[in-house]
Amino acid sequence: MPVKVGIPRALLYYYYYPLWRTFFEELGAEVVLSSPSTKGVLTEGLKYAVDEVCLPVKLTFGHVLDLAGKVDLIFLPRLISVKKAEYICPKFLGLPDMIRRLAGIPPLIDVNIDRYKSNNDICLAVKEVGRLFTHNHFKIWLAYRRSLKVHRRYFRLLELGLMPAEALAVLKDRVKNEPLPEPEKITVALIGHPYNIHDPYVSMNIIGRLRTLGANVITAECLPEKTAGSYASRLPKKLFWTLGQRMMGAALYYLERPDLSGMIHVAAFGCGPDSMTGELIERRARTMGMPFLSLTLDEHTGEAGVITRLEAFLDMVSWKMAGTVGAIKSSS
Amino acid sequence: MIGYVGIDVGSVSTNLVFIDDGGIIREAIYLRTQGKPIETVQRGLKELDGKLPSGTKVQGVGTTGSGRHLTGVIIGADAVKNEITAHAVASSLLVPGLHSILEIGGQDSKIIILRNGVVSDFAMNTVCAAGTGSFLDQQAGRLGIPIEKFGEIALQSKSSVRIAGRCAVFAESDMIHKQQMGCGLPDILAGLCDALVRNYLNNVGKGKEILAPVVFQGGVAANAGMVKAFEKALKLPVQVPPYYDVMGAVGAALLSREAVARKGTSRFKGFGVADTDYQAGSFECSGCSNLCEVVEIAENDRIIARWGDRCSKWSNAIRPEEKIS
Repeated sequence: MPVKVGIPRALLYYYYYPLWRTFFEELGAEVVLSSPSTKGVLTEGLKYAVDEVCLPVKLTFGHVLDLAGKVDLIFLPRLISVKKAEYICPKFLGLPDMIRRLAGIPPLIDVNIDRYKSNNDICLAVKEVGRLFTHNHFKIWLAYRRSLKVHRRYFRLLELGLMPAEALAVLKDRVKNEPLPEPEKITVALIGHPYNIHDPYVSMNIIGRLRTLGANVITAECLPEKTAGSYASRLPKKLFWTLGQRMMGAALYYLERPDLSGMIHVAAFGCGPDSMTGELIERRARTMGMPFLSLTLDEHTGEAGVITRLEAFLDMVSWKMAGTVGAIKSSS
Repeated sequence: MIGYVGIDVGSVSTNLVFIDDGGIIREAIYLRTQGKPIETVQRGLKELDGKLPSGTKVQGVGTTGSGRHLTGVIIGADAVKNEITAHAVASSLLVPGLHSILEIGGQDSKIIILRNGVVSDFAMNTVCAAGTGSFLDQQAGRLGIPIEKFGEIALQSKSSVRIAGRCAVFAESDMIHKQQMGCGLPDILAGLCDALVRNYLNNVGKGKEILAPVVFQGGVAANAGMVKAFEKALKLPVQVPPYYDVMGAVGAALLSREAVARKGTSRFKGFGVADTDYQAGSFECSGCSNLCEVVEIAENDRIIARWGDRCSKWSNAIRPEEKIS
């Protein structure tokens, strides 16, 4: 029977799931994904997480607990750095240690992923994880090469404008012609950590709501990493965080796009890096006269506040485009 | 007379207005919601019906405020709009050329910045409701003064005392402390107004360019102490428009006029709604671990609307034309 490896549907799952999944499957393991986020998953997470971490980390606790009892191992790497000379948020670094003390969870694969000094250091992590399944070095290397191929295809799909959930569906069904969302008159850039904006439970389905209200949604993931990086480097000083860097670069790039109608920044309450990038983005958007909305997500489940702000924001955008108070796109 | 009805169902007050075809406000009713939105709307409709001359024709109805969906379903609204849009629409038509709207309601506060007659920026208070009308209400109650007298007393102050405005709980303990020290009531109330204004400008008005003409509206605008504190902090004249407390409803009425002009017909069910039996209830769906709280509205035992379910399986079970956004 193959070894069952659990992957929590949280945090960098939205970037690396196809890669991780392919790698483990090539090594002969069976991959089990935790259930989609629900109130129950979050409540479990809140019960066991320390108080001062942010909402997405608390949610990860819930996803790990959801996998307990269903799998033999849980893949929870210690993400220190995924790119040379950049860091991932310090809360990711301590995550395996925070999770390990939970009762009743299977052993963790908590390999260090640290490319801070050199991008090639990823090979250490690949070898370490691969050895858990096989001693055949060639097989491990091949599995890694294949998973990288899938990863690149996944990112190409994201760059076509597909959201992670849609891109994952395309990968799964091996559809050749990826359907693109219908173009709308209003294009809104949604800037936020992927695990905040792409988890429909945490974000209160913000992408779906914006689309229903008649807006095209673009995110930092729709932009090639290189472009985002080159725009982010316009800042007087480099940001430490890979995700912040990407959000910042995407925001700067989108603000110059003539077809952009507005920008929404989504942050989790208590996120340290976001308090900085959010402010930087907001200031830039204001000087450029771009309609800007800042949304803060937290544990409350009341959707009214988010809906009111989104509706008002899109009204504002439509007014601005029409140049008058009269022409409002009604949602009723 | 023909015209439009606008209803703003907020946390503290429910307001109804009737505007005629030319956009002139003919009737305005301000009621306390007291946690019973349906009954209050029915009471308001009855009162409005009595005040309007016979033969009046309602062309359309709009709702806004936190109870807008509930009310919209009950009366058959043509426009159901968020309160930011409603306030902006009303003010920009009633006060031409204005640049900034400060609005403080019962449980929320917002700022709307307009340039060239178009909303260019807005913000609402975030997670915390400190510094809104409910807090003033509560403090007035604690000090044993009627809320209507609050502003008047605050204006008698010669030098206001400093009160911490960051958090309503701390503001209260600071006020008690100042009382025990022997500071006069007018100075404390004026200090409280200053603290709320400081808090508002730091949180809601953060980074926004507030230019004259400035309009201050919402229930709290009745408080002359708050108006003075805003003028002091902004160093700008602050206008309180007539109908400052029902501006949301005016906006909803104007939006319904627009919606009806586009659609051609109104869905208004008539003033008979005031005598119909409505029941609101909720249940917890156990379909998945989201355990959504689903709200059900029944008209004479017939379910007319449901909402609150994330997957829409309950709300979609209702006939589609009854659905509100």
